[in-house]
Amino acid sequence: MAHVELQGISKSYGHVVVCRDVNLEIEQGEFVTLLGPSGCGKTTTLNLIAGLDDPSSGDIRMEGRRVNALSPVQRDVAMVFQNYALYPHMTVAENIGFTLRLRGIRKAAIRARVEEVAASLELGDLLGRLPAQLSGGQQQRVAIGRALVREPKVFLFDEPFSNLDAALRLRMRAEVKELHQRLGVTSIFVTHDQEEAMSVSDRIAVMHHGRVEQFGTPEEIYASPATRYVATFIGSPQIELFTAVIERNGDEAALRIGPARIDLPAESYPGLAEGSAEGSKVEVGIRAEHVALADRGIAATVRLVQPVGPSTHVTLDWEGGTIVARLNGFARVERGSRVHLDLDTRHLLLFDRKTGQRIAAH
Amino acid sequence: MSALRGRLGARLGPWLCDAGVIVAIGVFVVWSIAPLVWLVLSSILPQLSLIARPPQISPVHWTLDNYVTVIGSAAALGQGMLNSFIVASFTTAVALALGAPAAYALARLSVPRSDAVVLLILATQMLPAIAIAIPLFIVIARFGLIDTRLALIIVYLSFNLPIVIWILRGFFLGIPVGLERAAAVDGAGVIRTFWMIVLPISVPPLCAAVVFAFIESWNEFFFALILTRQNAETVPLVIAAFAGQYQTVFGQMMAAAVISIAPVILLAILSRNHIVRGFAEGMLKG
Repeated sequence: MAHVELQGISKSYGHVVVCRDVNLEIEQGEFVTLLGPSGCGKTTTLNLIAGLDDPSSGDIRMEGRRVNALSPVQRDVAMVFQNYALYPHMTVAENIGFTLRLRGIRKAAIRARVEEVAASLELGDLLGRLPAQLSGGQQQRVAIGRALVREPKVFLFDEPFSNLDAALRLRMRAEVKELHQRLGVTSIFVTHDQEEAMSVSDRIAVMHHGRVEQFGTPEEIYASPATRYVATFIGSPQIELFTAVIERNGDEAALRIGPARIDLPAESYPGLAEGSAEGSKVEVGIRAEHVALADRGIAATVRLVQPVGPSTHVTLDWEGGTIVARLNGFARVERGSRVHLDLDTRHLLLFDRKTGQRIAAH
Repeated sequence: MSALRGRLGARLGPWLCDAGVIVAIGVFVVWSIAPLVWLVLSSILPQLSLIARPPQISPVHWTLDNYVTVIGSAAALGQGMLNSFIVASFTTAVALALGAPAAYALARLSVPRSDAVVLLILATQMLPAIAIAIPLFIVIARFGLIDTRLALIIVYLSFNLPIVIWILRGFFLGIPVGLERAAAVDGAGVIRTFWMIVLPISVPPLCAAVVFAFIESWNEFFFALILTRQNAETVPLVIAAFAGQYQTVFGQMMAAAVISIAPVILLAILSRNHIVRGFAEGMLKG
């Protein structure tokens, strides 16, 4: 277990800057996810932590010690790779035990340890097989076994489930989380799947264009996104954004979106009073669960009804544009019917139109 | 009617396609094997049957006399085979021992301008042999290596090594980088990664390189002719010697040739099994 710190880490390949001034402090035993779309620099950051690449600038510290010049082994990290990266010519047992063999550990001790790890991952019967003779899920378990076998200080996972089918992905996700809870080893996980990140992480670092946009708990990231980018990246269905004009009436503030006027409760938007002048424009984000259908309110027409099981996503056209409402269960709404919207104004997210930063936190 | 034709077409389509492939393969096989068949036939026909017009190739004329004569009288063939075997084996072994690490370095390590280096290595192959024959002869003579196997090994290495590097580098570039990264995380340095991970999964291209280097060295004629006299004479020279000033003993020449290609064919068959098995097991899957 180790405390891992990235201080001002940047990495460029020629003129291409992949990571820009990444600062993260990961507590001992914490499960942190680097989340972002492909090309955002998350895997590069993971490789830098692993010692597979050298940062162009900045420091990486583990347990307070600068480890920039240390190899992956000296850092005592273990890694699970996206394509498993199992050695194709070695059996499951040889794959798992390879790292111990490199350390000159006696054969009997290696065998005992490999069997112990294999048993914990339900791989006991497969020790003599080659990777090509295993299913995707089994290969993934072997890759995890290879990381587990030497009790490292830090576990690194590089999109480990991206090649698995949906059902297996959910199962492996639960297994990894249980494993972390059992062993308590500091774990850094890379994924582009926001739901996966939310479900396994203690904290999430959302990355975009090589920068960390926000580093916080899943709840903070979801409910209080620091930027427009984080708000749109997290949440399904995706948050809807509208351009709104701020209107004032004494201490009261309201938003005008097209012809619709939405009153804002002053206690929820304390920052709005100082920050924004009458008539200035902001961007407003509304999540689907904060939109309800009501008897009175903003008029809208149902365009699309998508039941997804526990809820129904209803796409609505209104004068301000298009919005999605998430209704509980199988909602009884007809396509084309006229309805009214009730927006939960306590949960609107306001962003500066130029910088994309959140402007009025609650 | 047209529907019927359509159904027929749909049923005949794959069949025609298969037939086309089989015919194409058949033509290729005949085209490849015909010289070999002619070689074997020539070796088992008496000289008169062979030079008759048309040649009398009926089995009634077949005889093993040529083989008996060649094996019985020509000690030179045995010596030539031994020389060829030693030269080809050493050349192949050294080409692989030097070429594989070089190819890996050029594929994976941060060698400055590695693409240019590879092109330069390959460019050495563009020179016609005749262009370097005289300078090479002078250098080899200076070192006192004329008519030695070492001279041939050195010369053959110079043109086998670039090809081996080229073949292996292409394969190494295709190995998923993740494997080597996994090895690095497991604690293997560059040399152990190369030795314990990269080489074992590279059996198919290594076999291809072995076959290539061995055959090239085994068959080489031109430099062997220039650089040897008698002691280091290789098989192609021994075979060529059957064409004398006054008479060419085709039958014996062909019998010697058949004997000489046996080890090469054996090597090719053994390696082919390795190559096919390597790919069949999906060595690089995942």
